[in-house]
Amino acid sequence: MQFIQPDDKNTDDHTVVQITLPKPIAPGASVEFHIVFHDVLPKVVERTGYAHDFDMVGQWFPKVGVWWKNAWNCHQFHANTEFFADFGTFDVKITVPQNEIVGAGGDLVSSATNPDGTKTLTYHSEDVHDFSWTASPSFTVVEDSWTGSQGPVKIHLLISPGHESSSQRYIKAAKGSLQLFDEWYGPYPYDRLTMVDPPHGGADAGGMEYPTLITLGTGVHMPQGVLAPEVVTEHEFGHQYWYGMVATNEFEEAWLDEGINSYTEVKVMDALYGKNTSVLNFPFAQMGESGLQQIGYLADPAKDPISRFAWLFYNNNSYGGITYSKTATMLLTLEKVIGEDTLRQALHTYFMRYRFTHPTGEDFLKTIEEVSGKDLHWYFNQAVYGTQVLDYSLADAHSDPLKWWDAAAHDSKKSDKDEIYRTYVTVVRKGDFQFPVDLEVKFEDHTTATEHWDGQDRWVRYHYDRKTKIESAQIDAHNQITMDRDYFNNSYIEDANPRAAHKLRNIWVFASEWLSQLLAWLT
Amino acid sequence: MAESNRGTFFSGAGLVWKWQRLVWWLFFVCLIFGFYSTQEMTERASFLLNNSAAAQRLVNGFDFSSIVTLQQLPDSPLEIQGHTILHFSILFVILMLFATGGILAAYVLGEKPTTTAFFEAAGHHFWRLFRLLIYLVIVLLPIAGLAAATNAIYTHIEDTSISPYPADHVVEAAAIVILLLLIIVRVWFDMAQVIAVADDEKKMHRALRRAFTLFRHNFFSLLWLYLRVSIIEWLLFALGLHVWMFHLNPQSVVAAFLVSQLMILTWIGTRLWQRASEAIWYRNYQANHAAAPAWSPAPEPMYMPVAAPSPQQ
Repeated sequence: MQFIQPDDKNTDDHTVVQITLPKPIAPGASVEFHIVFHDVLPKVVERTGYAHDFDMVGQWFPKVGVWWKNAWNCHQFHANTEFFADFGTFDVKITVPQNEIVGAGGDLVSSATNPDGTKTLTYHSEDVHDFSWTASPSFTVVEDSWTGSQGPVKIHLLISPGHESSSQRYIKAAKGSLQLFDEWYGPYPYDRLTMVDPPHGGADAGGMEYPTLITLGTGVHMPQGVLAPEVVTEHEFGHQYWYGMVATNEFEEAWLDEGINSYTEVKVMDALYGKNTSVLNFPFAQMGESGLQQIGYLADPAKDPISRFAWLFYNNNSYGGITYSKTATMLLTLEKVIGEDTLRQALHTYFMRYRFTHPTGEDFLKTIEEVSGKDLHWYFNQAVYGTQVLDYSLADAHSDPLKWWDAAAHDSKKSDKDEIYRTYVTVVRKGDFQFPVDLEVKFEDHTTATEHWDGQDRWVRYHYDRKTKIESAQIDAHNQITMDRDYFNNSYIEDANPRAAHKLRNIWVFASEWLSQLLAWLT
Repeated sequence: MAESNRGTFFSGAGLVWKWQRLVWWLFFVCLIFGFYSTQEMTERASFLLNNSAAAQRLVNGFDFSSIVTLQQLPDSPLEIQGHTILHFSILFVILMLFATGGILAAYVLGEKPTTTAFFEAAGHHFWRLFRLLIYLVIVLLPIAGLAAATNAIYTHIEDTSISPYPADHVVEAAAIVILLLLIIVRVWFDMAQVIAVADDEKKMHRALRRAFTLFRHNFFSLLWLYLRVSIIEWLLFALGLHVWMFHLNPQSVVAAFLVSQLMILTWIGTRLWQRASEAIWYRNYQANHAAAPAWSPAPEPMYMPVAAPSPQQ
């Protein structure tokens, strides 16, 4: 038995152990391992450990590597990586004090009290690749159920003290997610979903996925307009599909679980809570999931490709922004190419075809191409395997009299209606990502011109000779190219509207004055 | 005392209303500083947004992701220039420190504050009030220590308690205590400022000592005088914020401007109300206790006329 470091040869890393058998296993034969191990839970960190009387027991047993592509795939534990394991059956006995309320990623088979004041709970779970559990005497149990295409699902919510007001928000988000995933992507085959709300001080255990058990997160005074409990519930539930059942390699292709899951988070949250209000919903400020993913991606869009191994990213921010948010915006932008319904159908096909297996990124992309019937290599090469940044800009738009030299003609009021104007509209590709764009030009006489540009060259210029002047010009009028780094330069409106700038100034002036007044309290 | 306090309370409001030029003057200076401190950001925002259809996201509502995106723009991000705002705020504080002498002189004298009288009194008392500001910062240090201790206690309770409530309750209780202490300190220093101006007290440590004795003997009376105006101030501010955030049409710029500026105006007005009430209270106190001042022994001739010449002179 020896520790190995397949990823970085760091000999101080003791997270992977290799066992050399005394003799080879013959074809068709098997070998049984009995592993005795001892855990000491840390104070909660990286989604596992204890906080007060709360225990979140995740990643707690030695996991067997995955025999995959004719080799053992077993990576070291890195700061940015999650996990990869094979499917199996878990029979787990948990002995805890009798006052503990336990939740686990399995069906409770039996419960027995012991003379020493403990109880032993036995759980059984099939077709899963991990098993986690939680215990606390302070949980309040909320039971609910939902019936989908494969029968009823029991929902167990274990809520921590002070968080009771979020119970129904969690439940509503979970049931909504179950319903839409069932309709859109495929059936949820398990008969249970355990949701764990970590207590005050145990937030590091929140926002994590395990098969049929997810951990959430809220606050004592969580405003209704901040949809954090809903977002985390949807996201971690989504992992039941993209990680739990479609069990991709999170070390090597983290985008396949976190990224696809972030995309479906946008779709589900927008459907449940409104396109522009699915993250923040106040009368004075709003934010939708699409916007959330966009700003996550745009924070640092060009350092790493989506396809990079998780532990090789430039830094943690790049890992998060690219893996989660760029993948989501990449798929949202793909909707413009193949259509939203087609992409949904592709995800359905991908899920049904690869559930309970370990597909790769290639499997995913090929499924999209197959369902859409389109060759999308040009897109995936840039968006998935490249670091190109997409930014198209409406560089110039103006109208001038066609006979500009004929002063007499356009000085005369009589001839105003007959004046022919030449309108120029110039679109520039500022980034290195090539993507087809649609241009919509509106004129003062309410006529419209539309153009489709393949976006290959650095710029394109259109001109129109009409008896009217330009009113506005806009590329991507329906805001479908979410990968566009700067959507403020996508349009030009002839009549300037300073309202947005004035709104911002109002806020800034007030903030400045208010700071002055606060400091003036000292005088 | 309650009866006379009520009189002082309304007299203070009357004085502020009567000489509202002071309120407007401070308000417009604050507004001009606010405009100047945000000018560069506004020009940049106008350049980015005025001709862009995407600006509608900020017009029809307030899309938070658009604001972040504006800040993330690669070529010319829209940066919030906090340092400029801070510089103008510090400038306003200096100006307020200067103006306080003139304001208090007007309120103590109860005579119309002409421009000449105002600026003479402001200049005459500036360094005294500046020294008081230094003392105030020193006095606030233990309160800052209390806030730090509260944070440590909060962290300890959070580590040991499964329920979030004990830690929250500690913070809430500490916040009330700290707020009360801040108010007490402010009233104490307000009275020291009044004494410095009304009695032309040159020694600020003596003004502080006299104000402390005065406040100690009239603790609830002075505290309530200040606190009830503060409550009105906070309620008006909360009301304004509520109207702005929840009831105004998101597209409205003018209404939002008016509401936000009304909040600042009432904030300045109520602060001057506190100062006017305190000045009147002291004037009345002097009149009632001329023969036997509350503090003893009297260190200097205490009832000298204020330094600021009256308009008749």
